[in-house]
Amino acid sequence: MTLTRRRFAARGLMMTAALLAAAPAVAQAPTGKLVLYTSQPEKDAAQTTAAFKKAYPNIEVDIFRSGTTEVMGKLSAEISAGQPGADVLLIADAASMEVLKGQNQLLAYPGAKTEGFQPGSFDADKTYFGSKLITTGIAYNTGAKEKPTSWTDLDKPAYKGQISMPSPLYSGAAAIMLSTMTARPDLGWKLFEGLKANEAVAVRGNGAVLKSVASGEKSYGVLVDFMAYNAKKQGSPIDFVFPKEGAPAVTEPVAIIKSTKNEAAAKAFVDFILSDAGQKLALWMGYIPAKPSIGIPSWLPEGTKINVMASDIAAVVKATEADKARFATMFGN
Amino acid sequence: MARLTIDRVQRSFGSYLALDDVSIAVEDGEFLAVLGPSGCGKTTLLRQIAGFDKLDGGRISIGDRLVSSADIHVPPEHRKLGIVFQSYALWPHMTVAENVAYGLTVAGVRDPERSQRVSEALELVGLNGFAERRPGMLSGGQRQRVALARCLVTEPSLVLLDEPLANLDVHLRASMEEEFARFHERTGRTMVYITHDQAEAMTLADRIAVMDRGRLLQLATPSQLYREPANITVAGFIGEGMVLPAAILSTPQAGSCNVSVLGIEAVVRCRPDQRVTEQAKLCLRAGDIGIASTRYGGLPATVERLSYQGGHFRMEARPAANRDILLHLDVAEPSPAQPGETIRIAIGDGWIIPEGVSLDKAA
Amino acid sequence: MRISLADPATLRTRVEEMGLLWGLVGLVALLSLLPIGRLVVEGLAPGGQLSATALGKVMASPATWTATWNSLTTAIAGTILATLIGATVALLATLTDIRARNAFTFCFVLPLMIAPQVTALAWLQLFGPSSTLLKLIGMAPPLGSRNPLYSREGIILLLGLQYAPLVFLTLRAGLRALPKELIEAGLAAGASPLTVLRTVVLPLMTPPLVAGIALCFVSSLGNFGIPAFLGIPGNFLVLPTLIYQRLAGLGPGVLSEVAILSLLIGVIAMVGILLQDVMLRRRDFRITTTSSAARPFELGRWRRPVEIGLWSFAILVLAMPFLGLLSTSLIPAFGVPLNAKTATLANYAYVLFEHAASRRAFVNSFLMSAGAATLIVLICVPLGYFIVWKKSRALRLLNLAAELPYAMPGVVLAIAAILLFLKPLPVVNVSLYNTIWIIVFAYLARFLVLGLRPVISGYLQIDRTLEEAAQIAGAGLPRRLVTIIFPLVAPAAVAGALLVFLTAFNELTVSALLWSSGAETLGVVVFSFEQGGDSTYASALAAVTVVVTIGLMASTSLFAQRLPQGVLPWRD
Repeated sequence: MTLTRRRFAARGLMMTAALLAAAPAVAQAPTGKLVLYTSQPEKDAAQTTAAFKKAYPNIEVDIFRSGTTEVMGKLSAEISAGQPGADVLLIADAASMEVLKGQNQLLAYPGAKTEGFQPGSFDADKTYFGSKLITTGIAYNTGAKEKPTSWTDLDKPAYKGQISMPSPLYSGAAAIMLSTMTARPDLGWKLFEGLKANEAVAVRGNGAVLKSVASGEKSYGVLVDFMAYNAKKQGSPIDFVFPKEGAPAVTEPVAIIKSTKNEAAAKAFVDFILSDAGQKLALWMGYIPAKPSIGIPSWLPEGTKINVMASDIAAVVKATEADKARFATMFGN
Repeated sequence: MARLTIDRVQRSFGSYLALDDVSIAVEDGEFLAVLGPSGCGKTTLLRQIAGFDKLDGGRISIGDRLVSSADIHVPPEHRKLGIVFQSYALWPHMTVAENVAYGLTVAGVRDPERSQRVSEALELVGLNGFAERRPGMLSGGQRQRVALARCLVTEPSLVLLDEPLANLDVHLRASMEEEFARFHERTGRTMVYITHDQAEAMTLADRIAVMDRGRLLQLATPSQLYREPANITVAGFIGEGMVLPAAILSTPQAGSCNVSVLGIEAVVRCRPDQRVTEQAKLCLRAGDIGIASTRYGGLPATVERLSYQGGHFRMEARPAANRDILLHLDVAEPSPAQPGETIRIAIGDGWIIPEGVSLDKAA
Repeated sequence: MRISLADPATLRTRVEEMGLLWGLVGLVALLSLLPIGRLVVEGLAPGGQLSATALGKVMASPATWTATWNSLTTAIAGTILATLIGATVALLATLTDIRARNAFTFCFVLPLMIAPQVTALAWLQLFGPSSTLLKLIGMAPPLGSRNPLYSREGIILLLGLQYAPLVFLTLRAGLRALPKELIEAGLAAGASPLTVLRTVVLPLMTPPLVAGIALCFVSSLGNFGIPAFLGIPGNFLVLPTLIYQRLAGLGPGVLSEVAILSLLIGVIAMVGILLQDVMLRRRDFRITTTSSAARPFELGRWRRPVEIGLWSFAILVLAMPFLGLLSTSLIPAFGVPLNAKTATLANYAYVLFEHAASRRAFVNSFLMSAGAATLIVLICVPLGYFIVWKKSRALRLLNLAAELPYAMPGVVLAIAAILLFLKPLPVVNVSLYNTIWIIVFAYLARFLVLGLRPVISGYLQIDRTLEEAAQIAGAGLPRRLVTIIFPLVAPAAVAGALLVFLTAFNELTVSALLWSSGAETLGVVVFSFEQGGDSTYASALAAVTVVVTIGLMASTSLFAQRLPQGVLPWRD
């Protein structure tokens, strides 16, 4: 019998609670109900709200958790019916946030404490704020013959027919990855043409990539870091590399919906996510915190310097339709 | 009171007139047969009486109660009548006893009266030992009896029977016919019996309503229907009547007149008001004609076919005067003539079909 | 003398019938037309402004027509395959003397329980380079070679396998109403069993067969899981995946586009159903005799080969995906080989004892699916009565509309439900939003047609004089429905209820948008696990679900003695 991660989780939560108790008390504690829509994995969502409640015991949090597409679908419908149900939103990628910002649905929070965060990790207009870095690199089955180090390795003949990747047509994070990488002169569409020539398959999401690589159906996969490391930690025959050109990243941003009826509580939630306690929670859950001074997760080999591929979200949002269309024609039959 | 009055009933499906101005008055306790070929409208009429279908025009009353008209429609469940369906319509998920008891349960009759009446009804149709069986385990005749018991147990004053014998074999038919007759006698219910079998209708009914293409052709006692058909269709349909063109030579006297048919003269029955005309139609039954006793009387005809009927032959012959007509007659054994030979036919009786009289209006 | 119109008994009957009719019209309109209407509004007049922008954009996009073509071809071919499999198996399992047919029926309908993505993964592994089976017979393709299932043909194959039980169940319900005389009459006339099958059995079975085919077609058309798994790698688009793609693509006006694409699916589904109507028109399928079920055809020396064939097929479609689930649920992490050293029950311990939401979801899903199945049968029996026997024109149109919520992707129906119920209901001022009831509503709307098709085919096979006889006996409509009609259509209704229950139980797409804290469904929890990379928990929960459902279905046999014969599909 193997001990599950959950046992650690319980112990860890106590640790976080202790950590939070030491946090400075808020002058006027906000109260009331707060509705959070999130696409975080379920256990992370539960831990985030539990920790938040410890910090703000008078706020009651209702949570809706689903896939990014489902969360955005629900929110779009609610917006269309004139009554968004969420107060705060915590979803995988900034592109979706840009869309909402464009529809004037996000509330700017100029007072958010962004000191110590890198300027690129939050919106210049302070409508959304990155909470962590989720990078995309290359995962490989430990039985694979090659050990990739660069994105361009995937174009080599030795990888032919053995690559899977998340489809940008169905995953927002993958769409950002596509537009970020194709905008790079050293990678560009040439990389994807090589992937096409190598018969790479695009699947619906990171979960599917993980399965195909872990099961050995494919030897290599374009995958987010934490999923690969979590699986590895539990014993999956899988390993992960940050390619030397850099890893495209999404920031899992948090934002306040403009129509919120409890602005104080919503701001408290953003404060919490950006606070050192909130950042440490992200670190403890196995993510790379958005605030570099907090540290890096234990799964990263000592001294790893993560080279995040710079990305201009506004440009990505602009290019994404055309990029996806081009991708679709390339990987079509 | 269970008079059934059908008054100028109309029903059409699209452009097709399924019931065209049909009127019938059924007396209390009468056994009426509705006879006609399939598609004649008899089933439509039954469904109207039962209330499964709505009228376009006319009225139907049961007793003193108006049940159907253009704007009144009492649903079947409130008409308090009984039906025996052609398919028996026994509920396969219930036992025989449950099938029979259903109407009583609906009417709020409780045990022990209910089970008492159920066993009486089963007794009546001779099925006492079958109460706990399912309909699927019964033979055709037994199912028919269950259907009858189910129909009777609620003692409806009007009973409709929709070709109840059509699915039974010949032997069973005869005994069921008898049973219906006895039953009618014993209970005195008003019965409307739908059938396409004229023998059945003749045997059972007090009166017969003959229908064709949505119209009532004649409503009369079986004997009247046979002897005095009201029109060509009834004449041809009932008892295989032969219809011949004839000229009336004299005004009626004591219900008879002289006619000229196929070149010979004969005395036949007719209506007292029959006028003298060249354009009359004469209805002959097989029994009305025979081989002439003299060599010179009668009309000459060529024998075409002989078929043995047990004890006598049925002979078909073509008269020389009109080769389009085929006459048939019964001749005793041994046959006096063979196919190809010429015989002379004498006309002993006949009936002049009344012209242009619509019987349902006359009645 | 004249009896007034207000003859009280007549009046009461009329009020009862009219009340029931218009109640049903209202209910079906509420379940089917209302969500569709809301989508039409969203598609053509987003925000209340009439606009053809979205319509133009969708119609002008070549992707729309590619996806439409692909949807049509896969749905039609998948339906043909499912019909061939389902009908053959139903005929063999019902009319011949194979042994253990109850157990077989049981096994054959169970795959409906297993989510399409699980089946898809199992088959991918079967045909892929890592296939244990292919390795065993030395035919495994080299590592990295393209899986042949990532194709149109792969999608058709899995759709055919997934939906064969739909044809099987509806046809089996019909076959059990077939009296032995009809078969014996054919045999007595000197026809061979195959001729009797072709000239007597199949023609009489047209209603259930057509109903099963129609269900298959609409199910295949609306299926998301299989093309999502097998089509995305080859960028093989069908309408549901195109819709999901659009939804993921965000951007302004996305809801309008999604609504219009969904209506496109709806239109195709309705054309299919109209064809079904044409096929059934002007023919008489009623079975008028009331004898016991047919004596089975003796297969003679073919019995053993047929049994082997049937069972290997059942094992292939049931056991394979189930073993896939089972093996994943027993390992600590995906990809770890299963052996004595690695095997663990920790995943089960976690989903059964530690994860409160799993247990809650189990109860929720069970109650909601069973509740939806029961309600749908209660709606469908009177509904079928008015559609088939009373030929109510309003309901015949609604009968078509009932297809729509089932044909469109669940996520779209969920969006329609959100648009409808976000604000509290007018007049009563009660909000269904964020309660379990919005999911129940969506289930009723979505799965109504699964219950309705078998019931309608059931009515087409019943001789109506059985009802008329009860009417003559004085029974009003409510009593006739309960005592006569319901028992007569019960086999078809139970088949329908079973379809609803099994489909709703592992449903994900609707509840993924509609669940709220405390109202989780099994699909939502499994999906959450999958998304977080916890396939092992997801598999454990899914495996428990299958086992518990088998238990529940088996336990019905305990009180089967008290049910009319032929009601439970897996009991002769």
